[in-house]
Amino acid sequence: MLDALFDDVKRMNKRQFIYQLLSFGMIVSSALMIWKGLMVLTGSESPIVVVLSGSMEPAFHRGDLLFLTNYPDEPVRVGEIVVFKVEGRDIPIVHRVLKLHEKNNGTVKFLTKGDNNSVDDRGLYAQGQLWLTKKDVVGRTRGFLPYVGMVTIYMNEYPKFKFAVLGCLAIYVLVHRE
Amino acid sequence: MTIEKTPEVVKINKWDGAAAKNAIDDAIREVFTGELKCKESFALIDGRLCLCALAVGVALYALLWDYLYPFPQSKLVLIICVLSYFFLMSILTMYTTFMEKGIFVVARETVGNNNRVWEASSYVKKHDDKYNLVLVMRDLNKVREASVNKSFAYFIDANGTIVQTLIVNEITKLYNSISSEKKDK
Repeated sequence: MLDALFDDVKRMNKRQFIYQLLSFGMIVSSALMIWKGLMVLTGSESPIVVVLSGSMEPAFHRGDLLFLTNYPDEPVRVGEIVVFKVEGRDIPIVHRVLKLHEKNNGTVKFLTKGDNNSVDDRGLYAQGQLWLTKKDVVGRTRGFLPYVGMVTIYMNEYPKFKFAVLGCLAIYVLVHRE
Repeated sequence: MTIEKTPEVVKINKWDGAAAKNAIDDAIREVFTGELKCKESFALIDGRLCLCALAVGVALYALLWDYLYPFPQSKLVLIICVLSYFFLMSILTMYTTFMEKGIFVVARETVGNNNRVWEASSYVKKHDDKYNLVLVMRDLNKVREASVNKSFAYFIDANGTIVQTLIVNEITKLYNSISSEKKDK
């Protein structure tokens, strides 16, 4: 059975085998280039994120997929939902802007809070940090798709499952001709 | 010293149309390079490999550049890479549809002082058992074409083994008919 699976590969000549590797490479690169293209279009380093916690309920639930933009000339305003990074945390946070101070020269500092949290985010920020600034922002929420992100959450919770699925797909593409 | 080469027995799942087509294509290629003593020309397939390699290279370069110079700085390079990647993909699609057109072997032979190029292409319709082979011969001034349309069952026996002798016969027949046609005129 397993032998039959690799029969196709064994019979390939050098060029067919190289093409097989390259077409696998092209599947991966297409996904990568679409992602990079979205980055350029939206101006955000991570144009699509998944909500991981219930801190923004009832607006967003765990597993919602968010689309972000981050154009430099769009000002941040109170009431907007922003995604921001905090030093020392790997995962960005999605929360609403609660207070904002803007100077005449355009620099802003703002405070955020999760809709479902009882206190603001100062406790989540880095030690001694009281405000967020524009450089912390990953993007502003522009749209969302409910529940689609649950797949990513499950994948990240069960890494073995993730590697099994990805491995099977990779083997299938590499072994199967055309 | 000559070593008798035992012909390799190719066994496939004959219900898998793509696998059957690939196996017969391979067998036909062997007929051209073996029995008919032609020299295979790889220019066409090498062209496609180059395009693919270039596209993957562009994507890798974008990945590396974005890693070295994180996003806002790498913007210009990313725009160039993304545009050229999708441009290369469309070139590749055009290459396979208009240049390759399903040609799986290009073989050259010299008869007298005449250089001939043989191109074999094949296609199988979805959910169909008919293997369509088109053989084109070009030399200095003429282009000739012959085709055959036969069921997979003709080339593959009940066990899923390719019957090489039948393929050799079929190709030789086509080869001779095209070659002799030339002499008549």
